[in-house]
Amino acid sequence: MNGRQKKKPWAAAVLLALIVAGCVCCEFFMTKDPAFMDLADSERAPGGEFLFGTDALGRDLFSMIWYGGRISLLIGCVSTLLSTAIGVVLGALCGFAPGWLDLALMRFVEIFLSVPTLLLIVFLQAAAGEQNAFTIAVVIGATGWCGIAKVVRTEVQRLRSSEFVIASRCMGGGFFHILRRHLLPNLLASILFMVIMNIRNAIAAESTLSFLGLGLPLEIVSWGSMLSLAQSAMFTGAWWIVLIPGAFLVATLLCITKIGSYVQDVLTRKERNV
Amino acid sequence: MKRRFIFYGKKLLSFTASIFILSVLVFCIARLAPGDPLASYYGTRVEKMSVEEREKAMERLGLNEPLAMQYGKWLGHAVQGDFGISYKYKQDVMEVIGARVGNTLLLGGLGFVCLFVLALLLGFFCAYCADCFADRVICMLGTAVSVIPEFWLSLLLIFIFSVSLRLLPSSGAYTLGEGGGFSDRLLHLILPLCAVILGHLWYYAYLVRNRLLEEMRADYVLLVRAKGLDRRAVLLGHCLKNVLPTYLGIMAISVPHVLGGTYIVETVFSYPGIGTLVYESARYKDYNLLMVLALLSGIVVIFSSRIGQAVGERFDPRVTAAGTGRESMQGWGG
Repeated sequence: MNGRQKKKPWAAAVLLALIVAGCVCCEFFMTKDPAFMDLADSERAPGGEFLFGTDALGRDLFSMIWYGGRISLLIGCVSTLLSTAIGVVLGALCGFAPGWLDLALMRFVEIFLSVPTLLLIVFLQAAAGEQNAFTIAVVIGATGWCGIAKVVRTEVQRLRSSEFVIASRCMGGGFFHILRRHLLPNLLASILFMVIMNIRNAIAAESTLSFLGLGLPLEIVSWGSMLSLAQSAMFTGAWWIVLIPGAFLVATLLCITKIGSYVQDVLTRKERNV
Repeated sequence: MKRRFIFYGKKLLSFTASIFILSVLVFCIARLAPGDPLASYYGTRVEKMSVEEREKAMERLGLNEPLAMQYGKWLGHAVQGDFGISYKYKQDVMEVIGARVGNTLLLGGLGFVCLFVLALLLGFFCAYCADCFADRVICMLGTAVSVIPEFWLSLLLIFIFSVSLRLLPSSGAYTLGEGGGFSDRLLHLILPLCAVILGHLWYYAYLVRNRLLEEMRADYVLLVRAKGLDRRAVLLGHCLKNVLPTYLGIMAISVPHVLGGTYIVETVFSYPGIGTLVYESARYKDYNLLMVLALLSGIVVIFSSRIGQAVGERFDPRVTAAGTGRESMQGWGG
């Protein structure tokens, strides 16, 4: 957007890579079992045996951070895959559909958006039965596709009358064939930024839901469920329970944002130069 | 005159239709979700109830009829202004909401106005001295703050200002037992307000900054610059005027996002507003309360998106309905 070329976000990329690598290979350097509770060791300050201290249930925060990060990142990726898939297919349907169907679908999206997200999530959660990382990911994915659908719809409307799409249709190409072979490569540039941002939003959503008690239960360790102990910990002066998982969460979100906005910058620049 | 009448009539009709479909949808979702509404009415006593007692209670609350019948009854009463009682509070739903809606309006409304003004000022300042040291620092800080989830931001504020510095109260809307004077309420409002504003500020400020900078590259700017106007005059007198309609439209669409943020902030600060109610009623299946809250949120969302479109079309004929939207943000509205 500004006149100068944005610098490559090396710092963000390296930090994110470190966090992801740490979470993926957490088994190799975890000092304790993250699920092991020992009330005798509850709310120990960082240092010594417990590098990041312990939480109110006596679990070792250092091990929990890496182990829980795995779940948080996984939820981010899985729900983004789902929301992108729904968004692209629905958006393309809207874009190809005749006017009245398009209007009806867009109205549906509008109404869908106006159901309070909280209510939708509580319902979907209840319908899914037990709460685990996978159901949370599906629930977040199923509620986060509207933005992508809107963009895809506009793009498809622009592309559908172009020669290569018409040619493909004349040769008998089906909807999914055209979508995969002809539209997706063209769409990628305009939705890549949103897909990256969806990962960020999904991770943030998981932590918010778990914090509110609507997401993962305490036994399943994730950054969000770790933070659900934060409110009570704050008043006992256990700052590390609030600050350390939060810092990891925010650092991850910030890195993803930096990379996302760099990608967007590069893509818009390319578009302008053409 | 007549055409205008038809125009508004059509708008009203489609608005009512949307609300109607929304009410059916929410009704079905709420009733079909597994969970025990009796638990929210009778509390822990529900565990000791026999099967017959349960049957009776279900019948008294009208919960064992077919879904369509239940909805028909609800709609019939609702049209007459009777939305039933809240299972948990044993009070008329409107009374429960009425007692709290003022608090949310105060927090959300004040937050929205502050957000609107501050984002404009900050965005303008950053555009004015684009790429200078202050702009770069603000851009960095702003991006960092904008990714912090609202609940953690609230926790952080509580941690710094009420636990460590002991300057401001950490929860509630007023000190219990003192009735709540003006200054007391204000003191309780500061932290939640900061959380609401900080959570959204940079998104809009950055938007204003970028739109202004983009506008600065237009041809007419080159002309007025050539005539001798300085940067500030161009920005204030020409660019701002062109950016403002888009900004207004986007702010109108963003009402639900700010509202959603307010809900979360309210829960963290145990602020007695609608947010805590939404959360409680959704969790504990307080059907009647949930219906009204969902409809209220829905009305706000649909209404604000219509206003956003109208503003865009009114001030800027190039904008069509599809072009405005906060695509990159998550749908946390309501």
